[in-house]
Amino acid sequence: MRQVIYALVLGVGAQIYFFGLSVLIQIVLGCITAVAAEAVFLRLRGQTIKPSISDGSAVLTAILLAISIPSIAPWWVIVLGVLFAIIFGKQIFGGLGNNPFNPAMLGYAFLLISYPLQMTQWPSEFISIAQASETIFGLSSIDGLTGATKLDYVKTQLMMGASIKEIGSISISQLWINIGFLIGGIYLLFRRVILWQIPISLLSGVLVMSSILFLIDSNHYASSIFHLLSGATMLAAFFIATDPVSASTTPLGRIIYGFLIGILIVIIRVYGGYPDAVAFAVLLLNITVPLIDFYTQPKVLGK
Amino acid sequence: MPNSNFKGGLKIENPYPSNEIDLIRIPLPDKVVLPMQQRIGNQAIPCVSIGEHVLTGQIIATIDDDQCAPVHASISGTVTAIGNHVYAHQSGLKGLCVTIESDGKDEWVDTSIGCTENYKACLPLTIYDKIRISGIVGMGGAGFPTHTKMRLAAGCKNIIINATECEPGITCDAALMQAYPTKVIRGVEVLLHITGAEKAIIAIEDDKQDSINELNKYCNNERIEIKVIPTKYTSGAEKILIKTLLGIEVPSGKFASDVGILCLNVATVVAMFDAVVENRPLISRAVTLAGSAIKEPKNFQVRLGATYDYLLSFVDLEEGSHKVTMAGLMMGINLKGTDYSVSKNTNCIFIDKAQESVVAQECIRCGMCNTVCPVELLPQQLYWYSKSENIEKAMDYNLLDCIECGCCSYVCPSNIPLVDYYQFSKALYKKQTQEKAEIEKARERFEFREMRLERNKSERAALMEAKKIALKEKMAKDRSQKEKINAALERVNAAKIDNIEEDAS
Repeated sequence: MRQVIYALVLGVGAQIYFFGLSVLIQIVLGCITAVAAEAVFLRLRGQTIKPSISDGSAVLTAILLAISIPSIAPWWVIVLGVLFAIIFGKQIFGGLGNNPFNPAMLGYAFLLISYPLQMTQWPSEFISIAQASETIFGLSSIDGLTGATKLDYVKTQLMMGASIKEIGSISISQLWINIGFLIGGIYLLFRRVILWQIPISLLSGVLVMSSILFLIDSNHYASSIFHLLSGATMLAAFFIATDPVSASTTPLGRIIYGFLIGILIVIIRVYGGYPDAVAFAVLLLNITVPLIDFYTQPKVLGK
Repeated sequence: MPNSNFKGGLKIENPYPSNEIDLIRIPLPDKVVLPMQQRIGNQAIPCVSIGEHVLTGQIIATIDDDQCAPVHASISGTVTAIGNHVYAHQSGLKGLCVTIESDGKDEWVDTSIGCTENYKACLPLTIYDKIRISGIVGMGGAGFPTHTKMRLAAGCKNIIINATECEPGITCDAALMQAYPTKVIRGVEVLLHITGAEKAIIAIEDDKQDSINELNKYCNNERIEIKVIPTKYTSGAEKILIKTLLGIEVPSGKFASDVGILCLNVATVVAMFDAVVENRPLISRAVTLAGSAIKEPKNFQVRLGATYDYLLSFVDLEEGSHKVTMAGLMMGINLKGTDYSVSKNTNCIFIDKAQESVVAQECIRCGMCNTVCPVELLPQQLYWYSKSENIEKAMDYNLLDCIECGCCSYVCPSNIPLVDYYQFSKALYKKQTQEKAEIEKARERFEFREMRLERNKSERAALMEAKKIALKEKMAKDRSQKEKINAALERVNAAKIDNIEEDAS
């Protein structure tokens, strides 16, 4: 878990560079909530607190959620999200190792459905820490500084009949944030913290599905490059879908799992009602994991 | 072409490296404690009594059971005790043991009945019997009686000699091969003779270069191949070794003998050679002594039944609390203390400095165990179902194919003792199937009883019916007879009356 947290540094750094230190405020808020919620629930469940806190899994869940939500979302958004992730995503199933869903994505889905407005207002430019904290803690509003994400913007424009060429290409901030997570992910692969099957198959899924759509009508569907380097694609491929607890565990199962998430990400982005699709794609595939695992058992020696 | 590698497995550095591997002979122990229970099968029954003087090589316990081999006195001396003593087993269970105190003379019983050098003139059955009465069992750890294994594999095409010694830290087979390379080769020749197999392969890991050189020097039989395989843990597991060497997969639930292969450990081959050609029953073996609490790892040729403490007096042992492991770090067992004795399958004794035990954490399904499992199971799924005692599900994930090699436990980042769970599940499965079989038997018995009662009832009814009919017929007959009698009587009476009337007139 520690290695995964270290590997996030570049991507988070890029977010800070483009959106300001408010990202850090969200992370700190999330971590405090996560550790507190975990401790309280472990106590209620009569478990020892220290080993479970020190494995870093709660903190990782909090960080993943904190960097997925808009950096200037009000403070209670991240707090509620993390509480939901830790309590209903993890502890209620029996803690680490027993949760069928990815807790961070469960928290994200909960927030996105319950608070769509707060969850889609991203800062459109760099925001100083002072301004950010005022917004986060509800002292002032900075409506003028926020806007939809590029994915959201593209979707709206396309619906209004604009063509891809008019809308333009990937935003610089999205590009660099995704590259940051890509590099972190490659580090994890080399350290063998994660295995190659899920990231590679997920990215292939995104590539295949978006290519098919792009080939059908390049005027109305964004390119593969756009899909690969926008939104949370890289974060999903290396940090979210690779959560071992809720992912498939057989070698072939992992490939199927990752690939289908990739396909679903593109489908939900293009045809769904929400700007980004990672959370729903991952959660949907989480449900299918026992089935995938059962039917993709490797051939045992002598069978 | 068989692949000389297999999926999974682990490359583990030898934790107790040593510069040279010698087989050291040590003086006779003052006393030996010989366990009567050897692996599965029945316990051998002592045929000596307390106070009796026994000679080296004399059979002191035997039993008529294919799963069991006789036990021999490993020294000459007096039987001082026949009673319960702790076995080298994790449970610390006690079992029947015969204790012999040495007279220091090592006088041998006459074992010269047999085949000796002229084994080629002997019938295979004679040689099997010689192997049986010499008490030879698998010396790699399994302890399965060799004569039974050979009989099961009768008519086999291939023989595999397992000289891989893949468990890290054990060097007793390497030491044996360096000390007696000719015995290994000639032992294999004996095997080829009795089984009539086409070919024998001696499989050896590439880290035992000295042993390989020695064997190559003396091997000039074209039916014997010395095959060097990469050093990787579990290469020596029987089914995996067969796949590696011959490309044959032993079907799940079957044995090597079912696919025409006889697989024996190299130490077993040497013991068998001693028995057949030199008329020496199994009374000693090579044992590796190593561990972080022992300065220099050593291999001893030691009489069976010698105590661990006796062996430990020949090495530099560091003071302090120790962790004692028997039969290997990966598949071996932890023992409490050193109050045990060397048995036929004691290939090593590791004495390590005691360490703080690690606490197992939750499984995070990381899948490291999948990648190292040499039989390609899904250990974390097995763990999940073993933990919840869902044996049926665990069987869906091929619980019984687990070879308990311990690779999964070794790599587990949460330090879960996975193999313990599988052993537990297997035991539970055995118990459940036994119970099921008993229930089935009881049900059958009940149904048979019901059927029998029903049958008796209907039979009796039929009988009654028949009787009734017979009685009726009889009664009908009786009636007609009665009528006839009556008619006759009437006739007689009528005649009488006629006569009287005639007389009167």
